[in-house]
Amino acid sequence: MSRRVGAAATAIVTALALAGCSGGGTAAGGAGGATGAPVKGGTLTMARSADIISMDKTTTFDNNSIRVMEQIMEPLFHASPDGTKVEPWLATGYQASADGLTYTITLRDGITFSNGSPMTSADVKFSIDENTKTAETGWGFINSAIASVAATTPKTVTVTLKYAWAPLIADLALFANGIVPNNYGGKTSAQFYDAPVGTGPFVWGGWKKGQSVSVKANPTYWQAGKPHLDGVTWTVVADASTRKLQVQGGQVDIDDTPDWSSLASLKSASGVKAVTYPSTQIDYIAFNQKRAPFDDVHVRRAVSMVIDRDALVKAVLFGNGQPAYSLLSPGTPYFDKAAGGAKLDVAGAKAELAKSSKPNGFTTSLLIPSGNPNQASVAQIMQSELSAIGITMTIKPLDPTANKQARLASDFDMTTSAWTMDIPDPDEWTSFAVDPTGGSHSAFTYYNNQDVIAINKQAQKVNDPTKRQDLYSQLQKQVSQDAFLAYLYYSPYVYATTDKVEGFTVTPLGTYPLQDVYKTK
Amino acid sequence: MLHRLSFVPGRLLQSVPVAFGVTLLVFFLAHLLPGNAALALLGQRATPESVAALTEQLGLNKPLWEQYLLFLKQLGQGNLGTSLTYQSPVTGLVLGAIPVTLTLLAYALVLSLAISIPLSALASFRPGGGRDLGVRAFTLLGQGMPQFWVGIMLILLLAVGLRTFPVGGYGETAGEHLYFLFLPSLTLAIAMSPTIIRSLRSSMITVLESDYVGTAKSKGASGVSLLTGHVLRNAAIPTVSVIGVNLGYLVGGSLVIERVFALPGLGSLMINSIFTRDFPTVQGVTLFVALFVVVVGILTDVIYTILDPRVDLGRASSA
Repeated sequence: MSRRVGAAATAIVTALALAGCSGGGTAAGGAGGATGAPVKGGTLTMARSADIISMDKTTTFDNNSIRVMEQIMEPLFHASPDGTKVEPWLATGYQASADGLTYTITLRDGITFSNGSPMTSADVKFSIDENTKTAETGWGFINSAIASVAATTPKTVTVTLKYAWAPLIADLALFANGIVPNNYGGKTSAQFYDAPVGTGPFVWGGWKKGQSVSVKANPTYWQAGKPHLDGVTWTVVADASTRKLQVQGGQVDIDDTPDWSSLASLKSASGVKAVTYPSTQIDYIAFNQKRAPFDDVHVRRAVSMVIDRDALVKAVLFGNGQPAYSLLSPGTPYFDKAAGGAKLDVAGAKAELAKSSKPNGFTTSLLIPSGNPNQASVAQIMQSELSAIGITMTIKPLDPTANKQARLASDFDMTTSAWTMDIPDPDEWTSFAVDPTGGSHSAFTYYNNQDVIAINKQAQKVNDPTKRQDLYSQLQKQVSQDAFLAYLYYSPYVYATTDKVEGFTVTPLGTYPLQDVYKTK
Repeated sequence: MLHRLSFVPGRLLQSVPVAFGVTLLVFFLAHLLPGNAALALLGQRATPESVAALTEQLGLNKPLWEQYLLFLKQLGQGNLGTSLTYQSPVTGLVLGAIPVTLTLLAYALVLSLAISIPLSALASFRPGGGRDLGVRAFTLLGQGMPQFWVGIMLILLLAVGLRTFPVGGYGETAGEHLYFLFLPSLTLAIAMSPTIIRSLRSSMITVLESDYVGTAKSKGASGVSLLTGHVLRNAAIPTVSVIGVNLGYLVGGSLVIERVFALPGLGSLMINSIFTRDFPTVQGVTLFVALFVVVVGILTDVIYTILDPRVDLGRASSA
């Protein structure tokens, strides 16, 4: 017996030695176009780099978990597909009082939870209040303007604010304000989130820790005829090349975030589609203004002007993405493309440096997370660019958690970082980035410009979109002048799917509505 | 027979301070890493205030010695503590991952024996011949190729190209586990078999030249019956210790293989827990791996004793 197995193993080894180099055989598969009505049934499998952590929507910051809970629990409002507007979802609409302090929200008729009980205003009040309670260590900070929520009638909720707060409806579109049954249906919150219940297109399936998590179709979903799929399974596949091979081999339907370097070969592989979707992500360099010479605006401008953003897009994103010239990304409401962020201008950079406290250059360092090839490329490119104007930069890689700790403690000269939006309103990011009282000392830079802070505060209170656009344009232009960050690039989301997957799309906020997805046979 | 295994209880007892020492070392080494679980959990919105609040909530602001004593106390009650990331018992997480890694290791061992025994026999019957040269070339190749590369090549050939095997994953049923684990086990086996072949080949050559094999041959034994009846048992003795030592290294090798083949085993659990600073889970996995290596060491000696009646570890250690 062992002899036979041994012989088989020997044969495989020999075959491997012979065929080893020719690898990469592409799988046969029909190139399919999307036509006709959605196909009912089937399970969608998506491979992701990491496991979920928890289904507790109020305290979980992990995107892998959030993408799953969004299929189960839905908020009152949600972002439009292009990410720039807020649309009614479990609500049908709202009315704001003239002083902007009271919002009356009407709930949609005929919504039931997957456990069969109808959704009422009492559930809504409970759900939002539960989130507000987590201000210290959860998403509750997003509700800090809310004074109280009242269930006025079974179908009406009244939200009273402490102060006028324009982002309220966008805040209510956050998954953390998703609607769950009143009192968690009689369970403790821990029990409830072990198997959460909501109004969404899918219901909780199960979780094998470290391996996979799954949801099943909700047969009583309020959007008739949806979802098309029987269920969705997310598997944990840490290695990017394994994920790529799994989608090529047809073992999974979707590869979440393939490497940029593998995109070209995925696009040319038959049976596979690799698609990029605009995101709200902005990658940037933060300057620590507590450390000389970055308290000097001329130094910051000089560094910003010597960075070749087109080269970064080419080298890091393999051409998939755009150079960044504003604090806000194009997928964020009130983005202004005339924000005037620094462009490549080596002569200008030299002139700025000459005006600065360090006209002959200086020695500094850039903090990056280790094990991240993208950030390492950025660092190496910057290193050589900065040396052209006499700045010697060392690269300091730290493992991701240690890196985060160093950033939180503002223990860096310069650091790479990135931001993505969770709500369709710029305030979440601008308050974090420019307001030193926002808890993060202006994205850990200690940037403090009273004019900018005043504009940001004003934009929080104005409901009129035209006025808000004007304010956010002013803000974007001023922070570009101050160069408190050096914007690098906007990178899109990228997913590879087999050509059997139809209707899969990702919003700029990173959410993907799976009720519209189906698989052709 | 049994009295010769009297060394086992003593050795098991010795493993307690070894395991204890390992947890102590890992506990304090892990805490040398900057950052804690609160930082990892709070994501991009972390502020110094929220990190401080969550640190307190998780009990991570207590002095280190107090946290270690708590770990020991829980361990005394058969409880490995609560995972900081998942907020669920570490025991459950570790018990979920153990079958994956143990099956992988056992499977790899079986496959490497299935590769090594016939190849060693093939090589040793005519040392220096063409077959011997072929086998020696294979051992060189097997040792020279990095494991992750072998894994990816096997995937490309057998999973993506021929679609005979899945590209990673673990499956649902016992049958599926064996099917899904074939390629990762084969990868490990390819890495492990060169060492076994070298040891087995040279001891087989020695045994084949011995007088009693000559006698057996003159009585008509040849081929498989000669191999299984007279050669293998004596030739296996040095190889058993080689395998025992290598199983310890194999646990390390399985970390890489688990990643390439997306297996939810101890290696994946360990790596994730280190990145997220989930120290109770790191402790749990380490404790298990330490015990595993100790037990493999003892088992090696047991098999050694059974294979060779001349070996008496009980007397040696009590002398």
